[in-house]
Amino acid sequence: MTSTIRVDWPACRARGLCHELLPEVIDLDEWGYPVVTGTVTAELLSDARAAVRACPQLALRLVG
Amino acid sequence: MTSTLAARSPVPLPDDITVLPGPALLAGLTRGPSLAAHRHQFGALPWIGLDVLQDLVGRVGVRGRGGAAFPFATKLETVARRRRPVVVVNFAEGEPASAKDMALALTRPHLVLDGAVAAARALGAREIHVVLPGERVRVQAAMHLASEERDDRMRIRVHTTTHGFVSGQSRAVIELMSGRPNLPVTAWEPEALSGFAGRPTLLSNAETWAQVGLLALGGASSYRRLGTQVEPGSTLVTLTRTGSATTPEVHEVAFGTPWSEVIRPLAPRTEVLVGGFHGSWTRWETLSSMRVSPTEMLAAGIPLGAGVVHVADAATCPLAFTADVAAYLAGESAGRCGPCVNGLPAIARELRAVVGGHGDPARLSRLTGLVTGRGACAHPDGTSRLVRTALTTLADEVEAHLHGRCGRALDADGRAS
Amino acid sequence: MTDGPLLWYLNRSTGVVLLVLLTVSVALGVLSIGGRPGRGLPRFVSQALHRNVALLSVLMLLAHVVTAVVDEYVDIRWWQAVVPVGASYEPLWLGLGTLSLDLVAAVTVTSLLRTRLSLRAWRSVHLLSWAAWVVAVVHSVGIGTDLSSLDGLAVVPAAACVVVVALSLVVRLARPAPPVAGQTWGRSA
Repeated sequence: MTSTIRVDWPACRARGLCHELLPEVIDLDEWGYPVVTGTVTAELLSDARAAVRACPQLALRLVG
Repeated sequence: MTSTLAARSPVPLPDDITVLPGPALLAGLTRGPSLAAHRHQFGALPWIGLDVLQDLVGRVGVRGRGGAAFPFATKLETVARRRRPVVVVNFAEGEPASAKDMALALTRPHLVLDGAVAAARALGAREIHVVLPGERVRVQAAMHLASEERDDRMRIRVHTTTHGFVSGQSRAVIELMSGRPNLPVTAWEPEALSGFAGRPTLLSNAETWAQVGLLALGGASSYRRLGTQVEPGSTLVTLTRTGSATTPEVHEVAFGTPWSEVIRPLAPRTEVLVGGFHGSWTRWETLSSMRVSPTEMLAAGIPLGAGVVHVADAATCPLAFTADVAAYLAGESAGRCGPCVNGLPAIARELRAVVGGHGDPARLSRLTGLVTGRGACAHPDGTSRLVRTALTTLADEVEAHLHGRCGRALDADGRAS
Repeated sequence: MTDGPLLWYLNRSTGVVLLVLLTVSVALGVLSIGGRPGRGLPRFVSQALHRNVALLSVLMLLAHVVTAVVDEYVDIRWWQAVVPVGASYEPLWLGLGTLSLDLVAAVTVTSLLRTRLSLRAWRSVHLLSWAAWVVAVVHSVGIGTDLSSLDGLAVVPAAACVVVVALSLVVRLARPAPPVAGQTWGRSA
């Protein structure tokens, strides 16, 4: 059962905590904004939840 | 960082447009736009129940005319199941090259309003919202007049966009209606589920409402007399040319009509931009073999979008024109989403460099992939499509420019003259 | 056990440690706002530090309150730990301490429920941490009997806390502002 990371783009301020906590799924582009490169598998789920909680702008959601 | 790129639209907003008579939407134009003339032509608006309306729009498969071609019946059904629905007529037409909604406002306002009123009655909504373009004063005047002429008791709330390319995006419209800046925001659900004030919102393009109006006034069988079996009815297209002072023409075209019957023959290699500034480049030799059909064109990779067809005249370099459009689009970003705010200017700059002979098409291509899908609205996606199709369809021109050549008229700055 | 100076000293020592923890938490909060990723500590580390120091200070606050109430040397009731008025012992300075606790409670609860609130709601309550800290400093200077005489060394802890926070503000404000969506590119016309 895989989930997806969705970004609230107007809220995102390129702080990069999501990439630090979930580099397997979130890369950063050249301006520091997240690029979602894959889906969240079961073993990445707790890291994904941590990334969602850590975002200072609450700009991430875990869907599915 | 200097923003010499914050540019005006290379296609100016039209003051004047030519609206050609058509088979259904644009029939009987000579009688004028008044309510009396409208009733004379179409009769009174019957009171239609929700199930009848759903049946009508479902049977003919009305699709949105705002660009996304979303099935209207699905939106209607979603809204109908919920409480306190909101009906919104979107005349905003942020695309400068498009004039079809303007044409409807000037010639057929009551057809649009009848469609919205019919739906509002069927849904039990007590008012309709009409969203007008801030930069098209004639449209505002025409719709204010038409609203005052109405003799049903449906309340009409008018909103006017702050000007801009993205001001007509559905969430931007809902923001405007809510008293907030007229710019897109992230939506976790479609507005038909949760839109204005969290209520189910049936927001559609003015032409979509005109189509619904035609159905409500004339029924499905007369509607089906035009078009094809799978795509009944007709659609409005705006025809424009780059580089010349001709006014835009709005045509009503039955679905399935070959493009060769809509546009006078052009040289086969003539570049044509289909779908407006968020559209796709193609050549006349490709388009002339196709028909006015959203399904067919989508399958061919040149989606019809909101029906803007822009022909590059022989003297204008289509690549330089695309660079002008890209610069304009970069300046029209709402400025809310990082990939758009950063990516679109980067794309515009790189494309300008390609036109100038020193850019990197590979980097340009990578940038277009980078911005797609990473914003609150489809502005980066559309810009990306424009540039990507330029790189593929206009590959010869790209090659020429990289070798310091161009076959067309360019000014000293490499801008289309 | 409730006689004698043990609880008194525990209360005072938890108070000092609490002030230090609150100060560190505020300084970490100031330093971790803004800026681009990749400089020095990973951002999630400084965020976690801020959070953990804050939670630790809440525990210290509980200990500080318990020792104050249980100690029979001074008459402080349980309800005076949350209601800032009506105390008999040092009503002003104690009341300020209670006010600080109330503010810390609001900040803590909203932060634990952060993902369920809007960013704006959470942020406006979180800004009350400033008030909580300032009031805590004033409370410590006012109620700590050592400090009220303003003997040289006695004000040092409180003064040091103020200096630390001031420094963190200076460091933060001296950082160049990162490019943010909306600042680099305006809308045309």
